[in-house]
Amino acid sequence: MATRTFEFTPGPNIDALKDDPVHGELMHLNLGPQHPATHGVLRLSVDLDGETMHNVVPDVGYLHRGKEKTCESLGWAKFFPHTDRLDYVQPLMNNIGYALALEKLAGLEVPQRGQEIRVLLMELSRIAAHLIYLGTTAIDLGAVTMFFNTFKEREKVYTILDAYTGHRMNNTYVRIGGVFADVDDTLEGMMREFLEQFRAEIDSFESLLTGNRIWHDRNRGVGTVSRSDALAWALSGPNLRGSGEPYDLRKAQPYSGYEDYAFEVPVGTVGDCYDRYLIRVEEMRQSVTIALQALDRLHKSRGGEILIEDRRYVLPPKHKVHTSMEELIFQFKIVTDMCLPRGEAYHGIESSKGELGFFVASDGTRTPLRCHIRAPGLYNVQAIPLLAEGRLFSDMVAIIGSLDFVMGEVDR
Amino acid sequence: MVIVKRKELSLRERLYLPEVVRALSFTFRALFKRKITRQYPEEGLPVTEVTRGQPRLTLLEDGENLACVSCGLCEAACPAYAITIDGQETDRFIEREPERFEIDMLRCILCGFCEEACPKDAIFMSDELELADFTREALIYDIDKLKRPKAALQKRIDYFYKVNDRWRKPSSTS
Repeated sequence: MATRTFEFTPGPNIDALKDDPVHGELMHLNLGPQHPATHGVLRLSVDLDGETMHNVVPDVGYLHRGKEKTCESLGWAKFFPHTDRLDYVQPLMNNIGYALALEKLAGLEVPQRGQEIRVLLMELSRIAAHLIYLGTTAIDLGAVTMFFNTFKEREKVYTILDAYTGHRMNNTYVRIGGVFADVDDTLEGMMREFLEQFRAEIDSFESLLTGNRIWHDRNRGVGTVSRSDALAWALSGPNLRGSGEPYDLRKAQPYSGYEDYAFEVPVGTVGDCYDRYLIRVEEMRQSVTIALQALDRLHKSRGGEILIEDRRYVLPPKHKVHTSMEELIFQFKIVTDMCLPRGEAYHGIESSKGELGFFVASDGTRTPLRCHIRAPGLYNVQAIPLLAEGRLFSDMVAIIGSLDFVMGEVDR
Repeated sequence: MVIVKRKELSLRERLYLPEVVRALSFTFRALFKRKITRQYPEEGLPVTEVTRGQPRLTLLEDGENLACVSCGLCEAACPAYAITIDGQETDRFIEREPERFEIDMLRCILCGFCEEACPKDAIFMSDELELADFTREALIYDIDKLKRPKAALQKRIDYFYKVNDRWRKPSSTS
């Protein structure tokens, strides 16, 4: 394990520099919170010696909206729209993560077809999120073409999600026990068409960046984090795998039937920004594979259940509500007074950023006793000093981009 | 597990200039591709029955009275606390109707929970998406602004029932 101190104290070399006429005093600089390259409202306090960074301190909390506390006052089902707004580039992934935690607590089993749709939605969300990473990081480093091309593709994902959920973002289409609507033939066709042509698009993205000299100069050897450091700083997702640790929750703790899908976990060797870029590109390819497998399964399981039949947590069908007194009572019960059993549950899913976990504790009432969100972005942000200190200031943009966090999730 | 391959630059890529030409050709080819930009205010958004726009109240077939019985279930289901209902008694068969039904459109997040919760088919998500005004007060919609004839929402109602039918088999009850 690394023997790095976890205190942001200036090293002895910096004190020595102060009297040095060449170096002079350190310049204190605030990067953010309104800087476009910080991907949201992250403030970084940096001490600069010339262009070399010392004492990098990330300051989070500018987007704090008290989501965990909101969950404790709102109740179980009403928190779903709020999870959309955590990591707003992949709302369905957050929905599913929260739903899985609640299902674990309630001991529910999602029907096969519901799980297949969830896997499909998760992989589409992952593609959309990685496209945002690719576009924004590339435009921060000067490659404007990439931004337009990735956003063109992302628009296609959003068109599909719009046709399925009715919203482009903030979908709120996952319910406790399954998903709200079924994927029909038209949607299947749209998704298949997108996924088939998307492979060629990934190749064209790669042809613009992977062998690009500027991209190489800005990314290779920048922000290197060793395997032991990555583990010690609790990095997860592509940032951990970039350092060579093949840890993917879809393989390590399979959920939603991921164990039945054939896919590979890409792993890096060096752990720099370039490796993390390669991993995200490869993950998009793997996502296409998984999504196509899920589509094949959906084709076979047509007409299957997508939501469990459980009158404790799932609303009865509308036509029954109109005709049956019993169902009407359940409708009122579930909307106003849905209680989950006493206990606690944690479920982590492999989101595009890393391990996104929801911890819920219940005292058997209609609001959670505690809801904690394990946001991967927070851990990625806290590793910025590790990656950035001692490097040139211009590398900061590459490091921030490659760590790929969304402040909505970091600050919650 | 698959280890990603780190590409070393070839001579051509190190020379950089040929690569610039190649990248520019990539950019200029986009000129002749189909344009994907939508000229928004002139060119409307494609709306279907799946689109979850702003919630609207349905009128009964008579075109005068609301289907709403002010049970308050949408109010209870609303995660944004956007709905306010005051009920009153009425001589009609349903016995209760809303005296005041307000949706604060500035709070509404178009999640569709009210539509799902309503036991009377009284509130549905319309395909109306655009929302702009000069004052905040004007965006707190009351019954007059919210009510729509059932025919205007019929596509959404049909879609909602279709989803509901596919959603669960009508056979078993627990």
